[in-house]
Amino acid sequence: MNRLRVKNLNVFYGKTQRLFDVQLPDLEDGDILGLLGPNAAGKSTLMRALSGVQKHQGQIIYKDNHQGDIPLSDWHREVAYMPQTPPQESSLLPFELLWSAARALNLTTSDQKLAKKIELLFKRLGLAESAMSPMYSLSGGKRQLVGLALALIRNPYMLLLDEPTSALDLHWRMIVLDLVHERVNRQDGIAIAALHDLELAARYCNKLVLLAHGKVVASGPVSDVLTADNIAAVFKVKAKVEPGELGYPIIQVLEPML
Amino acid sequence: MHTVTLQTHYHHVFRRRALILIALAVALVLTLMLDLSAGPASLSISDILSGLLNPENLELRHRIILFEVRLPDALIALAVGAALGLSGIETQTVLNNPLASPFTLGISSFAAFGASIAIIFAPSLPWLGHTAMLPLFALLFALLCGGLVLTFSQMLGGNRENIVLIGIALFFLGEALTSAMQYVGNAEAVQEIVFWSIGNLTKAGWTEVIVVTLCFFLILPFSMRHVWVMTLLRAGEAQAQSLGLNIRRIRFFVILRVSILCAFAICFVGVIAFVGLVGPHIARLLLGEDHRLLVSGAALCGALLLSLASFLSKALMPGVIIPVGILTAIIGVPVFVLLIAGKRRRP
Ligand SMILES: Nc1ncnc2c1ncn2[C@@H]1O[C@H](COP(=O)(O)OP(=O)(O)OP(=O)(O)O)[C@@H](O)[C@H]1O
Ligand SMILES: [Mg+2]
Repeated sequence: MNRLRVKNLNVFYGKTQRLFDVQLPDLEDGDILGLLGPNAAGKSTLMRALSGVQKHQGQIIYKDNHQGDIPLSDWHREVAYMPQTPPQESSLLPFELLWSAARALNLTTSDQKLAKKIELLFKRLGLAESAMSPMYSLSGGKRQLVGLALALIRNPYMLLLDEPTSALDLHWRMIVLDLVHERVNRQDGIAIAALHDLELAARYCNKLVLLAHGKVVASGPVSDVLTADNIAAVFKVKAKVEPGELGYPIIQVLEPML
Repeated sequence: MHTVTLQTHYHHVFRRRALILIALAVALVLTLMLDLSAGPASLSISDILSGLLNPENLELRHRIILFEVRLPDALIALAVGAALGLSGIETQTVLNNPLASPFTLGISSFAAFGASIAIIFAPSLPWLGHTAMLPLFALLFALLCGGLVLTFSQMLGGNRENIVLIGIALFFLGEALTSAMQYVGNAEAVQEIVFWSIGNLTKAGWTEVIVVTLCFFLILPFSMRHVWVMTLLRAGEAQAQSLGLNIRRIRFFVILRVSILCAFAICFVGVIAFVGLVGPHIARLLLGEDHRLLVSGAALCGALLLSLASFLSKALMPGVIIPVGILTAIIGVPVFVLLIAGKRRRP
């Protein structure tokens, strides 16, 4: 079944247009779409538009309804968005953050169930030891993980993740995307993730969109999008793409092009 | 390994903070007693206690002193301090700015401007006494300032940087206008304006106490309704917004109620500096970021600071009452620095 269809999406900041007629591949249950592109390509802008935080023109059709026709509160119940900026360094405790978020959103769970849920989530994300340490004392990667936990607290159907792994080490990168993969498959959800790590994108996404200067340069299955030519055109690096042992292409970046 | 669940762990943290809150409340009662006992007429704390329980126990002179002079002064200190503390914490959180306070929204300088108009032009209304004009003007101009901040910020998109900038701009405008009034006023009027701008509690009577207290308790439930969002906001605006909360709208309502509360708090007693800035910080250091406790904690800290200042203003120099506004910063700063230093040592 068609879950998300995005067509002719345009975004303006003031009078400057930053997204031009963006169209995404149709997404179905279980899909993970990777959003690739250089800095300032418009990935975060697209994420914000999809999340409903950013004004936009065009069509976002979700389960056969236009996003504009869905009451905002319903929309935000289905869609969780993890912004690129992690939670700021205040003396807030991660546990407090998730707890107050759940209560501010009127999630109707008993205290006990909510605590259990937060605990499981933290354990899964390696935050059990950090749950009661103020945000300012956490490392950058841990703060990013807290941000991810915040997005996951509602069991959303659609996950929008803006560079969820940019601050994470090799181990946690994979744990996080494994978790996303598991959620998407178990709950028949979809996920869209902006990523700078091409290998990670090739490994975990089944569809990709390549964005540059606010326009879609290529989109579709991984092997169609991750070609040496596309990478050269968009990222300005010379690269070799080879089939890998694990079933996804391996990208070897050779040198930047001048 | 993890025998304690997170919930029990947080429960411990919360209970420790709740105990600190109770300790603050107890300290407040003690300073209130101290404040009541200070003054030229010698009334011991036990006299005061028995007088409070049964006024007949006191001779008439002391009864008048206690109920007509000391009690209103001491209670207005609590009410104003609590109001400033509450409006301070809400402003800081909603603008995500540790330097923000209702005064940096321009409210205080506009109140001073309103007061100086009342002092210099001595306007009068047939159905209001002359003495009511000063607080009335201070109140109206403070509210006007709140209205201006909200209107301009709505026009400019409602983001918090703009609110801070507009507030600071209005602050300086109010200062300039007050200076202009001082320039045209005679020496006596100028002295009165300066005196008002320092802030003092001694002119307050029961009406003032009731008005400020009522305002505080009318606003407090609205603050309590927002505690979850306010706690969440401490993770940053982007995070709160990403959950689908309309932060702009919440900010509008917070600034609105903070302006009203602050306007009522200072219109009778003048610009009492520092309490609205430091009270919240002390509360944050002691209680953490959970606004369920922090909102009342900031109000308690504000009240405690001002009550202590009120006591010292009478006790420091026997026979002289130092304007309390001078003392708030003088006692607030050391307390504040000590707390920060103490927090540093604990990792
Ligand atoms: N709030 C804003 N106001 C004006 N312009 C903006 C705003 N946010 C982003 N832009 C501009 O829009 C363009 C796209 O920015 P965006 O943040 O979407 O890029 P990105 O692909 O996420 O980049 P990065 O990989 O660096 O995160 C950039 O040129 C940026 O300067
Ligand atoms: Mg970005």
